Amino acid sequence: MRSVYRVLAGLVAVGVVLQAMFIALGWFTAIKDMDDGLVIDKNYEGNTGHMLHGQFGMMVIPIIALLLLIVSFFAKVQGGVRWALYVVGLVILQIALAFLSFGVAPVIGALHGLNAFALAAVAAMAARRAAVTREPAVEPTTTV
Amino acid sequence: MPLATKLAERRRLLVAVAATLAVLAPLAFFWQRSLVPNDLSPMTMGYADYGGGPMVHAHHGQDVSTLTGPANGKPDVAVDLTARKEKFEIPGRGSVDGYTLNHTSPGPQIVAQQGDLIQVTLHNESVPEGITLHWHGVDVPAAEDGVAGVTQDAVAPGQSFVYRFVAKDAGTYWYHSHQVSHEQVKKGLYGVLIVQPSPTDVIAAVHTYDKIRTVNGGYGERRVAAPGSTVRVRLINTDNGPMAAWVDGAPYRVLAVDGTDVNAPTEVSNKKVLVTAGGRIDLQVTMPQGSAVRIGLGGGPTTLVIGDGNAPTGTEPRDRVDLLSYGSPKRLEFDPAKADRNFQYNIGRRPGFFDGRPGLWWTINGHQFPDVPMFMVTEGDVVRMTIKNTSGQVHPMHLHGHHVVVLSRNGTAATGSPWWTDSLNVEDDETYEVAFVADNPGIWMDHCHNLPHAAQGLVTHLMYTGVTSNFHLGGSPGNQPE
Repeated sequence: MRSVYRVLAGLVAVGVVLQAMFIALGWFTAIKDMDDGLVIDKNYEGNTGHMLHGQFGMMVIPIIALLLLIVSFFAKVQGGVRWALYVVGLVILQIALAFLSFGVAPVIGALHGLNAFALAAVAAMAARRAAVTREPAVEPTTTV
Repeated sequence: MPLATKLAERRRLLVAVAATLAVLAPLAFFWQRSLVPNDLSPMTMGYADYGGGPMVHAHHGQDVSTLTGPANGKPDVAVDLTARKEKFEIPGRGSVDGYTLNHTSPGPQIVAQQGDLIQVTLHNESVPEGITLHWHGVDVPAAEDGVAGVTQDAVAPGQSFVYRFVAKDAGTYWYHSHQVSHEQVKKGLYGVLIVQPSPTDVIAAVHTYDKIRTVNGGYGERRVAAPGSTVRVRLINTDNGPMAAWVDGAPYRVLAVDGTDVNAPTEVSNKKVLVTAGGRIDLQVTMPQGSAVRIGLGGGPTTLVIGDGNAPTGTEPRDRVDLLSYGSPKRLEFDPAKADRNFQYNIGRRPGFFDGRPGLWWTINGHQFPDVPMFMVTEGDVVRMTIKNTSGQVHPMHLHGHHVVVLSRNGTAATGSPWWTDSLNVEDDETYEVAFVADNPGIWMDHCHNLPHAAQGLVTHLMYTGVTSNFHLGGSPGNQPE
């Protein structure tokens, strides 16, 4: 279970990196398409980069984060539940920031970018906790 | 292992299982509740909204499939359309993958005189999901409306369907598939329909294929000869978003909106008009001596130049013709103040699941598809509807089978020519009051014509007492109107 915890937390961090790649791909593609005659207005639905960013952000990463939380209940990782909750919380915050950027003000998008780094860092730290080989303090010793 | 440790382990496991359930149960509940049944009757979906009018129940219904156009009689205009999935050429751009009608996209232009009986035989040669044709803006009898799962089954590959209706109202219209329409229309299943053409017509049907905005199927600057010293430009927006259009090089008048003439149109310069997604606007342009005019179509490289010689290149004007006050008022043939029913169509948006997918989803009166209000009317009712949009995005609202007249916008009463429309651009934070007479029995879609929005559930129906439908959304024909 510890290794599952470690892998899932690592996947969230990797997912954040992929998200940065997708959104960059999306907008560089859009700029090239504009040079080729694309009009970006209320009719525009985005391209493959935007679509992947949406699917990873709304489906893939939230599902991995929830699995991490569930695994944390079973895996004996010191502070594992707490760190999984941090990850889930930051994922929710990240989605909320995206919605607010669309609905309220695009400037909130800057925080969406910043929070991505926080999420990647926290997910990586959660993964590290599960990678530590020493016996966790809360684990009752059964060998003595 | 000591007993105490064993018990602690077991308790720990129980807590973990309980915590897992606490996380999953509410998610599973909302996920499950959002699933749209695969076989859904338009008769049983949603809940009845009588708009404050009488709750009339008919004991024996008339099936929508019997509400056809004239069954007998030789058609004045007979067209055969064969739909295929294939590559086609966009002039000025190259070949793309999509759908065609008689090997072209847009499909053949259908032109009829007012009062003509039109017969269109639709063959599906190779569109895998099936197809239909809907006559956008034409108030046809319900069985001819071409909505998969509501007025007919999708026409599967190898099958045919015959549409017959009388072109009773002159005007600019278009037709498109109403099966998986958010895909099929974008990829080419549409065409132009003109009732009562004038000799000075210039069509400007704008359509965006994948990333390629075209006019009359061509990309870039397209040129046509001026058919007269004044020209009637028929603008058609077949896309999902509103389009600004303007004339560089000449003033113009707005002659008609969505097929209905404007009363006493005045001359306009340095202004744009907004063509709602799905909407049509006819302009009258007086050609300047010795030069051409350019019709700006939403910006970007695709424009339509009319006439010979150099055409000016302008930019999108800042000011817009406001149809709420354009032209002169005229008495309506009915009194909207004496409405039999008052409906509210509130468009919102909320996070959650739709058909199992997480996201931000549209709501109608706070409800999500398919649990949406069905607007119930009786033939002859005068109906008022208030459309309010607080969803954060613009919605081109399209009621099938009827034209509605705009009474007010954000509380400001209409003061211009009666603004009859079938495709109304409702911006975020706007409220429109519209009215119409329920004079065309059937089951009619009342939906957002940003077709991806409709596919995301921004759809409801206007239902007449006593009309029933045996068609189903989903089911074995795979009906999927949006």
